[in-house]
Amino acid sequence: MSKINPEFADTLAKYGAFDITACFNCGTCTSICSLSDEDNFFPRKMIRASVLGQTDKIDSSLEPWLCYYCGECSTSCPREANPGELMMSLRRYLTARYDWTGLSAKFYTSKLWELGAIILLALFVLVMFILFAGPMDTTLTDQGGVKLNTFAPAKVVHIADWLMAASLVFFLTGNVFRMYWRTIVKDESVKIPFKLYFTEAWKFVFHFATQWQFSKCGDKIDDGEKKKEKTSTYWIIHLFLMTGYVLLLIMIVGFLNWFQTEEIHPWWHPQRLLGYYATTGLFVGLIYFTVQRIKKSSEKAKFTHYTDWTFLVLLFLTTLTGIMVHIFRITGLPYATYYIYVIHLMVLFPMLMIEVPFSKWSHLAYRPFAIYFSNVKIAAKKIKK
Amino acid sequence: MKQKIGVYICQCGSNISDYVDVDKVLDSVKDLEGVSLVKITMFSCSDSTQNEMVDDIKNEDLDGLVVASCSPKLHLPTFRNVAIRGGLNPYNYVQVNIREQGSWAHSDNPKKATEKAIQLVKAGIERTKYSNALEKTVIPSEKAVAVIGAGIAGMKAAIELADMGLSVYLIEKDFFVGGRITQWEDLCTVEELASDTVTRLYDEVKSKDNLTLFLGATAENMSGSVGNFKLTINIRPRYIKSDFNKDKIEELTGKCKTLTPNEFDFGLTKRKIVFKTYPGALPDIPVVDIKNAGDDINIINEFKDHLDLDRKDESITVDIGSVILATGSDPYTPKVGELGYKEIDNVVTFQEFKRIIELSPNGKLKYNGKDIKSVGYIYCVGSCQAEGNMYCSRFCCTCAISTSLSINKRFEKIRFYHVYKHIRTYGKQEVLYDQAGRQGDIFFKFDEDEEPVVSMVDGEGTITFNDLLTDGEEISVSPDLIVLVTGMVPRDDYKRVAEVFKAPIGRDKFFNEAHPKLRPVETVIDGIMIAGASQGPKSISESTKSALSAASKADALLHKGEIELEPTLAMIDTSLCEGSGLCIQACPFNAITMIDAGGKKLAQVEKSACKGCGWCLAVCPHDAIELAGYTNNEMEGMIESLITV
Ligand code: SF4
Ligand code: SF4
Ligand code: SF4
Repeated sequence: MSKINPEFADTLAKYGAFDITACFNCGTCTSICSLSDEDNFFPRKMIRASVLGQTDKIDSSLEPWLCYYCGECSTSCPREANPGELMMSLRRYLTARYDWTGLSAKFYTSKLWELGAIILLALFVLVMFILFAGPMDTTLTDQGGVKLNTFAPAKVVHIADWLMAASLVFFLTGNVFRMYWRTIVKDESVKIPFKLYFTEAWKFVFHFATQWQFSKCGDKIDDGEKKKEKTSTYWIIHLFLMTGYVLLLIMIVGFLNWFQTEEIHPWWHPQRLLGYYATTGLFVGLIYFTVQRIKKSSEKAKFTHYTDWTFLVLLFLTTLTGIMVHIFRITGLPYATYYIYVIHLMVLFPMLMIEVPFSKWSHLAYRPFAIYFSNVKIAAKKIKK
Repeated sequence: MKQKIGVYICQCGSNISDYVDVDKVLDSVKDLEGVSLVKITMFSCSDSTQNEMVDDIKNEDLDGLVVASCSPKLHLPTFRNVAIRGGLNPYNYVQVNIREQGSWAHSDNPKKATEKAIQLVKAGIERTKYSNALEKTVIPSEKAVAVIGAGIAGMKAAIELADMGLSVYLIEKDFFVGGRITQWEDLCTVEELASDTVTRLYDEVKSKDNLTLFLGATAENMSGSVGNFKLTINIRPRYIKSDFNKDKIEELTGKCKTLTPNEFDFGLTKRKIVFKTYPGALPDIPVVDIKNAGDDINIINEFKDHLDLDRKDESITVDIGSVILATGSDPYTPKVGELGYKEIDNVVTFQEFKRIIELSPNGKLKYNGKDIKSVGYIYCVGSCQAEGNMYCSRFCCTCAISTSLSINKRFEKIRFYHVYKHIRTYGKQEVLYDQAGRQGDIFFKFDEDEEPVVSMVDGEGTITFNDLLTDGEEISVSPDLIVLVTGMVPRDDYKRVAEVFKAPIGRDKFFNEAHPKLRPVETVIDGIMIAGASQGPKSISESTKSALSAASKADALLHKGEIELEPTLAMIDTSLCEGSGLCIQACPFNAITMIDAGGKKLAQVEKSACKGCGWCLAVCPHDAIELAGYTNNEMEGMIESLITV
């Protein structure tokens, strides 16, 4: 016998869900969803659990991660209960639930906390520079570039990078483990044979690298070529943005010595080409998604949580300042380069620290893990049969 | 005996002629005695054929007419009219049904269908031969109507009838008008207060000179027949003088001590013995409940100058032409223990809930002194089930949901749980269902075969059920108040009322209409109409609609001041009648009386009461009774021709 908790809808409202109690359980959303299948049918059941406040069910469910928010369900819902936005809100909610520090919940439900954290982390970077930065050398290199590595030696910054990356990994793996614990270990209906973790592992890699589900989301209702085109545009742009971002992350964390140089390479040099690819990807993606959100041109862009804006703005500022650092450096403007470099890191650091383990960018990890876990479960169930 | 009969055999396009060989029918009857003309027609009912028939009657000087075609239910009036236009008496026309009872019924066997058609037409011709010219009887009728019940339907019908110029007697059992709706604070779906609506109607009732309102009155007995009923009414005393002194009565009320449960509030409150059911009750005159006076009788006696204590029940008789039954309904009362009713403290019916809302202080919903923050409805109690109504009461979903919305405008946020079997907020009310969801109400659906259980869990009244919307999971909720959304059942005294008026009762025990679609407010008893929820569960707007149509039906019947009766009535041959009186016992309509004709006892038929049912002729040992239009000669002639091939 389960008791219900109708107040949960109010909690969830802070994460962006609204009007969910308008749902009259017709099931249209589930039948229209192109990603829902016989193994995982959603979103109706998730809405029901949310309306009744059955948090155990929600905590142990992978379904919110299997939704890629094409918004078909919201468009088709006869009650305008916004099932798509509910799934989005559940992803935010689950992100907060997986996070053992409790910070994620604070960031999602309080603008003050989110803004405060950004400012704090930015100030931290500033203080670090004031304390440890090298001299602001105004002489230029032989190639006429700024001597950035004198002001901020890549070696030192790299160590800071490593520290940051370590803490990101620390938080994120902890959270993924909590996700694993709730969705697999606590699920008594299925026992997972150990070897399945290996046989299904390629799914994690594949989905992480391709975001393949984005391309499938929303192709069930066929209202002509236009729809298909939209779906694939979204997927490609998202992929572009995502690869750009991951590439930068890898270069910054893994190969900063190679990436942040004083030497100005010719334009075809892989360092520059990769950098250009990444920044273009970021820019195109950012502009596309920002315009979509402003124009509310698709179902998923209709409702924007403040954390979505924070993310877009921080990423935009990071990209912009990153490009400026590059331009100022190769055109030989020392002060401009140094100041912008400090600002660049003042934005970059809080963005990574907040978004990767506690907010939107954690999805990058949770989504492929969810598909992986779900497939492991399905495979286990098949074996049992 | 008719000698010049015209016979028309209809093909009905090909509906008849595809299976019945109409030429053969023509051949078999054309030489019969008395037949002077036989024709086959394509469509007998077409204008041109009708005209042709009229000409034939005139030119050939026909004295009888037979049309072999479809069911008389369809075209008897059509061809009777043709007879009249040709100058024939309409009762010299006989319709033979060779379509519904011939071609259609026997499409698998055209040969036999043709044989049957021939026999039927022959019988029809035989009946026509012996048919008599009959005239409709016209009797004067009363231009007055009695409306039973001054609820919303009764008042609406009475006002309408008065506006149409008829005299109206509005007879109410209670001492106050308004009926069931006065127990509701708002009217659901509209924000208007019930008390305002009743006041408006009451003012209108009072403003009509030709409308008399009887309160504390019950219909006791009725005799006569449509157009001329005599209705006896019993009026109980109110014990308060009509020119009462308000201050004195207030003083009296103040001094009275005895308290009895107030039926109007379903016993949720107590009232004194000098009382009004609710503060705004109309008319604004209290009633003295002498029976329950107890010790207060001394105080009552102190004030006897201001009271009417000697008054007794009064009986009066009114002459009316028609009656409208608008006696309304009762809420279904759950059995003790049904879903915790009367066993668990916080379980009430929806009608009680409406009183609780009305009686709650401003801004706070309270029951038994406790604040109510959440309410759990259980739907379809007494509807769609063996107890109460087998079917959906239709008003309850809408009213319950509408109340959850209106209550949240009047009080601090109250959470509603709707535990339902079906939600049927049909038509425009669908919007309310939507709004309730948006307001945060939570809906659960149980299976018809798995009723919810109400029990005490951890000291709280709890509803437990398997929720079909959550994979059939067992769920329980413990709201502050559990409201059983009960349907409508007939008034507890429906049997008595039905007996007085001979009103037919359906299997659901509500009054029954003559035809659900074509005669929705008439009963099979001429002159007795039904309106409002006495006919079955109805919303207020449905009730008033039926009241208005019953009123216009009554007006259509009476406004001419005379009523035409079918001439097919029992006729007594006084030379044969021996006064046995068996027919008197047999007649279900009390239409026969025994008269003394110079020492000889003779049965006599009251034309206005006879319905032509024929019971009496079957029992008369002397064969002294005949039914006009169905005389022995006619019937025997038909039988004779049917059995000779
Ligand atoms: S389509 Fe809308 S109303 Fe229907 S189940 Fe889904 S959310 Fe609920
Ligand atoms: S947004 Fe798309 S993927 Fe997500 S539940 Fe709705 S229909 Fe399915
Ligand atoms: S025909 Fe019927 S109603 Fe008429 S007198 Fe005979 S028994 Fe009575």
